[in-house]
Amino acid sequence: MGWDEFLVLWCGVWGVVAVIGFARSLAGVTKAQRTIRLTGRIERVRAPRHGGSRVGGISVVVSYRDPASGQEVSVTNDGERGEMITSAWEGREIGVSHPRGRPHAYRFSNVPEEPSRGLGWPGFAVFLVYVGLVVLAAVEWGWPWALIGLGGPWAVSGAVHLPGAVRAKNRRVERLAAMETVAGRVVAVLKDVSVDQDDGHTWTTITPVVSFTTREGTAVTAHCTSNLQDPAGAYGRAVTVHYTPADPAEFTLDRAAEHRSEERDVTFNVLVFVVLVATAVVGVVLL
Amino acid sequence: MTCTISHMTITAGAPPTHNTPTDLALGFLTGGVIGASLTAFIGGCIVERAPLIVTGLVLPAVCGLVFFLATLPRRAREAAVVPRTALAVIEDLEAVGGETSDVPVRFELSVAPDDAPAFRVEIRQDVNLVELPDYRPRGVVVVEYPPDRPWKVRIVKRPTPQWEERAAGARLDSAPGPTMTSDPPAGCAGGLLTLLGLLLGAVAVLLLFRVDLFGPDESSASPRPSVSSSSSSTTTVTSATGTVTLGPGQSMLDKGELRKAVESLTQGGDKRRALTVVVQDRLLTVVFSPTGVKTAGFDPRSLPYDRVSSLVEEARTTLGVDSPQSWQLTADGVTGSLTLRVTVTGDGGTGTLEADGRGKVQRHSGS
Repeated sequence: MGWDEFLVLWCGVWGVVAVIGFARSLAGVTKAQRTIRLTGRIERVRAPRHGGSRVGGISVVVSYRDPASGQEVSVTNDGERGEMITSAWEGREIGVSHPRGRPHAYRFSNVPEEPSRGLGWPGFAVFLVYVGLVVLAAVEWGWPWALIGLGGPWAVSGAVHLPGAVRAKNRRVERLAAMETVAGRVVAVLKDVSVDQDDGHTWTTITPVVSFTTREGTAVTAHCTSNLQDPAGAYGRAVTVHYTPADPAEFTLDRAAEHRSEERDVTFNVLVFVVLVATAVVGVVLL
Repeated sequence: MTCTISHMTITAGAPPTHNTPTDLALGFLTGGVIGASLTAFIGGCIVERAPLIVTGLVLPAVCGLVFFLATLPRRAREAAVVPRTALAVIEDLEAVGGETSDVPVRFELSVAPDDAPAFRVEIRQDVNLVELPDYRPRGVVVVEYPPDRPWKVRIVKRPTPQWEERAAGARLDSAPGPTMTSDPPAGCAGGLLTLLGLLLGAVAVLLLFRVDLFGPDESSASPRPSVSSSSSSTTTVTSATGTVTLGPGQSMLDKGELRKAVESLTQGGDKRRALTVVVQDRLLTVVFSPTGVKTAGFDPRSLPYDRVSSLVEEARTTLGVDSPQSWQLTADGVTGSLTLRVTVTGDGGTGTLEADGRGKVQRHSGS
């Protein structure tokens, strides 16, 4: 078996996987379609312990109404429970989901989730078919086709999404300008140490936790991993917090830095788009 | 109204034992797959053979898929079991090392379920260094476990407020009886079998693909001849010689036959040079120059094909050989210049005619 036969087999196998995935989605039997999605409410926020671990996120007690029994159920984010809760306040609505018939296997998401059709894995299978086709084209017709296959579709995708990215950045800049400002404090600095089993290298992750009260009286506790000088020694430090009144989870300690970051993101997107177009053009020229 | 997730009555199974045959077989197979796929992939990369590389990539993927599908029912069954929450008292605990912020701790617990007999269990669970002082002997904690596998106890670090209150005010007695353990002691047999499987997997690949990896077998170091047959001729080519044997009723003196036979030995564009070409009525033999020697010999396609027939005819008729029965043309280029020698054998002896590379007769001799 040569490379070309292997690549055809690769594309065929993943093509079949994709078709099966799409068929399952149409039949409504994907895992995502069999997931019960509910809206939970944070009832209690437990203060993080200084020096503790960020793993598991901020400890919260969440209640939600079980649609099967109609009763209120209390659960916590103990163990592997989906997305890490990094911003919490009493009364915050978060997403709670579980497989149909297995409420004990609940998982959290930071925002209530919309129903999904479960097309993630079939889409990934299609991506693998695309990769196989690009490599096959490069093997059969010459390597410039790899440049065309890589740069062309992604450049088109970038051209479609770039205007949306610019609009999102503009909305974000507007929200930054409209943020409220309050005083806050670093109430804990979490420290996680891990060791690379291969070379013995030690990795340390420092996660400051800030607490602030909004003008509406909501006490927010949140991980704060950016725009804080000397995070390891920040315990007890008073800080100025800027937050979006509609969603205190969107906050920053430095609005100017966030503004610059948004500008950089757009510039980066444009650069990537230009590189992709150039890649495709070079491929065409070299044919 | 507030409630916790409901429980159901499920019969507990037996705790895991030390290295079951299934575990040993699985370890052996896992080792074999790892050894075979690694050997195939690395060997394939070295000798640039696509089948080996593909084998190295596909084998673990297929085995993983088979394992995933085979264990799917069991995992689905286990996932459907609603875990039971209970209070437990810490009988003993011991940090068993670790260099990270979460240290592994061995706990010995007496678990006291509300609706089942108490039992003792030994577990191992990571605890953050900052939280370690919260756990002390005779302390009460909230635990969770699947009712069908009570040795899979896990301490709930963030219990619900209801269980937190219960734990704060509870006093529990130690449970009698043997201590179940979730981590059976690792035996060396499993590790040895895995290692054996790894080695056998590697050896199996080396044997199956020995030709690709190591080239032809030493016992057959001389290259095998390439033999091809058609209805009219048989062609045999080795690195040193090539022969073409015509079928009955054919002759190298037939129009175009000799040229075709020579070209059948020199096709493929390798343009090999010849030291000697011997032509008989139905047999052509070419002795090729050694590979890599560019200067010796001559191009067999440069023979004066259109002169061969007349040279043989001239030899048969002018050399004085009575009743000529066979002839042989030898083209020799070892000395540098090409010489053609036609020898005719008959009842009355042998005669030889010599010509130059263009077929011009140089000398006659007969006996």
